[in-house]
Order: sequence, then structure tokens, then C-alpha cells
Amino acid sequence: MDLVKKLLQGDEKSAARLISMVEEGRPEGFKAISLIYPHTGKAHVIGVTGAPGAGKSTLIGKLAMSFVSEGKKIGIIAVDPTSSKGGGALLGDRVRMREADKTGGIFIRSMAHRGYPGGIAKAAIGATYVLEGLGKDIIMVESVGAGQTEIQISALCDTVVTVVTSDYGDDIQLMKAGLIEIGDIVAVNKADKSGAEDTVRDISMHIGDRKQNGWKVPVVTVQSISGEGVEGLKNHLDAHFSFLRENTSGIQKKKERLKTMMLTLLKEEMWNTLMDKWSNTSEFQGIVGQLEDGKVDPYAAVHKASEMMFRT
Amino acid sequence: MGEQKRIKILIAKPGLDGHDRGAKVVAQALKEAGMEVIYSGLHKTIDQIINIAIQEDVDVIGLSIMSGAHIPITQKLFKRLGEEGVTDKFVFVGGVIPGKDIPRLKGIGVAGVFPGGTPLAETIEFLKNIVK
Ligand SMILES: Nc1nc2c(ncn2[C@@H]2O[C@H](COP(=O)(O)OP(=O)(O)O)[C@@H](O)[C@H]2O)c(=O)[nH]1
Ligand SMILES: [Mg+2]
Repeated sequence: MDLVKKLLQGDEKSAARLISMVEEGRPEGFKAISLIYPHTGKAHVIGVTGAPGAGKSTLIGKLAMSFVSEGKKIGIIAVDPTSSKGGGALLGDRVRMREADKTGGIFIRSMAHRGYPGGIAKAAIGATYVLEGLGKDIIMVESVGAGQTEIQISALCDTVVTVVTSDYGDDIQLMKAGLIEIGDIVAVNKADKSGAEDTVRDISMHIGDRKQNGWKVPVVTVQSISGEGVEGLKNHLDAHFSFLRENTSGIQKKKERLKTMMLTLLKEEMWNTLMDKWSNTSEFQGIVGQLEDGKVDPYAAVHKASEMMFRT
Repeated sequence: MGEQKRIKILIAKPGLDGHDRGAKVVAQALKEAGMEVIYSGLHKTIDQIINIAIQEDVDVIGLSIMSGAHIPITQKLFKRLGEEGVTDKFVFVGGVIPGKDIPRLKGIGVAGVFPGGTPLAETIEFLKNIVK
């Protein structure tokens, strides 16, 4: 395949095209991924998650510059959480990565979730392989952590950074959302404002001595606009990556992540296949109609629908 | 199933003018019309705009120009697109564009010109028609 060959030689246009093909769900796109996959597995894939406005994009831009100064090649995938009813999206993360956007060797791709709100775009998985095929050493994936996202972002990424701020308000809310739990590193951003140290203390207390497969989760402060603390965060990222490679628990974790990723994709595939096949049939719509008319309860409707779909 | 061809557009602000209200209004309207819109931010060079267009694999580049420099900016964009071998993207121009310049812009290769005040529906209709 011509595009793959060009990609492996470092052609950005081919990379961009291949990512689009995966986004569009085109079979040639997935065939290309199979060809690229053997060339992957060495890059450090970093997930950056946190509430909208926490400063993820700004931080990623600064981290990218810090990695670039060491001669590393950087890929960035920014998954935008917003999307209007018609499926449109205004992808604005790139504007926050001003410096990185101007710098050679950094490939930034914005992605809408295209119908899977709350999750990293399904295509983000393929995009990380494409960017590694392009020769990137570090790939950062930005995604809000809400709903099912956290599971997916930890399945895709070697290291997850949870970005929080002290003006998030309710720390409890944060812990409830499980965002802190999925972080291998917690970055308290906007430390130029007051309250950051308190937030660090609260989160450290919440985490306690708990370890992530033997890794002690660092809680650090950063100021993503000035860049203060970003170098320190980068060192923790490097340390976590070494930790993963040097420990059996890290190798085991990678296997689990791959399995989780497969199961997530399989679930979606099964759902799509079944709905394509059944959702427009009169039989299926009849069951929905019975439910809407109050003739059956939701459990019974599900039971009927699944009997219909899985009868042999 | 949520995966299909979507119209992807870069709304770019080249050069020095710092007025992006118009560009943002257009970006928002295109989003609401179901398109995926990337906004470049202010003060982009031609090379930065091309770089974004390549990486984001957009179908269309929309230039918003209020400075009066639309002719040289557009000429330079097409020259650089040609040098980079980027031939698969449509370009449209909006902003402060006198009617007399429209034929010249089209001559340079611009697919559509939408001076300030053009109904948004017209721009949307145009984009839906050119991107197939
Ligand atoms: N004061 C302050 N503001 C910041 C900092 N980092 C980001 N911001 C601002 O927070 C807002 C949201 O940032 P953004 O990176 O878009 O957040 P995201 O939604 O998590 O990607 C922007 O206005 C940033 O300029 C910081 O360290 N200090
Ligand atoms: Mg962002």
C-alpha cells in the first residue's frame, strides 16, 4: 500500500490521510493499520485527561516543547468533547498549543468524537499507530474524563496524566468521578492561582500510600501558561515509562490494556452490527412500540429484543 | 454508524489583522450545519495555515481577511500549496472584500468569495455543494 510506504518514510500528508480513513471507518484504513502495527510499540503514549478548562491543551503544548528540546518527535491527538446535534464540532484545542503548532516535528490532529460522546474517539487508537508509523517518539492524547472515557484512555495510553485545578471547586466531585484513580501522575494546574498547594495536599491524602501496580502516583503543581513545573512533570513521565519497561507489572499491564481495548472495540462492533441488522425491522420496532404504549416493562422489552436478536 | 465522511474545514486568520469575530461567527455556523471546523487562531503565516490544513486533512481552507491584503495573501497561499503538492483542497475567502476583486480572486484559484454580510446559509450551501 502506497500510503503506508510513504507514511513510514515520514510523509505527513499520508499520515493525515490514513487517520481520516480510520475516522471514516473505511476498510482500507484498517488494512493499513495492520501493515503499520508491526512498526509500533516503542513510542511513549501519554493520555492527558481532566475536566474541560483544566488546561489540558495548554499543558500538552508546553510538554511538547519540552520533549522537542530533547530532540524527540511529537504527535498530538486532541479529542474534542463538544459536538452539536447535527454532528458538527468546533475543534479548538490546537489554538491553545500555539508554540507547538509553529514548531517542526510536532504533528497535531484534532478529532471530534463522531457519535461516541464521552469516549476517546475510536479512531484515536488507530491514529496513535499512524503517528508512531510516522516516526513519533512521544504521542499525547487529550481527552476529557467523563463517563466511560477513563477506561478507554487508560487502555490506550502507557501513562495517564490527570489534570486538575484548585478552582475546580469540589474535590470530592473529582474523586467521585474516578479521575484521580486513573492517573499515573496527577498535575495540579494553574498553580499561579491560590489554593494549588491545598489541592495537592487533599489529593495526596486521598491517594494515600496506594500504589498503581507498584508505582507511587506523584502529585505535582504546574503552571501551563508560564511553563513552571512542566519540566518536573516531564521527568515524572519519563520515570513512569522506564518503570513500565523495567517491571513485570508494567509488561502485564500492557497485556491487560490490549485486552481491554479489544473488548471495548468488540462491544461497539457487536452493537453496530446488531443495530444495523435489527433496528429498522418491524419486529424490533414492534417491541419498542409495546414499551412506549406501556404494554411491557423495560426489562421485558430488552428480554424480547435479545431473544429476537440471538435466536438461532 | 457515526462514521462517515464529514466536511472538515479550516477557518484561518492569516496576517496581521486582529479581528476574528467574523471568523468565529462563521466557524460556529458551520459547526451547527454539521461540519467539523478547526479554527487556526490569529496571526498565522501561510506556511502555518498549510501545515494545519495538511495535518488536519481538511477538505476546505477558509481565509478570513479584513486587512485589504486578500490578493497577495491568496496568491501566496496558492503558490505555496502548489510547491507543497497540496492540490486536493478548496479555498474560499471571506472578510472585507470589494466586489471588484472577486473575479481576480477566482482567477487565482479561489472557489468562492463571501464578503462580510453574505448570508451564512449561502456559505453553507456552497460548501455542501463543492465537497462531495
Ligand atoms: N491562570 C492560568 N490559566 C491557565 C493555565 N493553564 C491553562 N490556563 C487557561 O485555562 C483555560 C483553558 O485551557 P485549555 O488548555 O483550553 O483547557 P482544556 O479544556 O483542559 O484543554 C485557557 O484560558 C488557558 O489559558 C495556568 O497554568 N494558569
Ligand atoms: Mg483542550
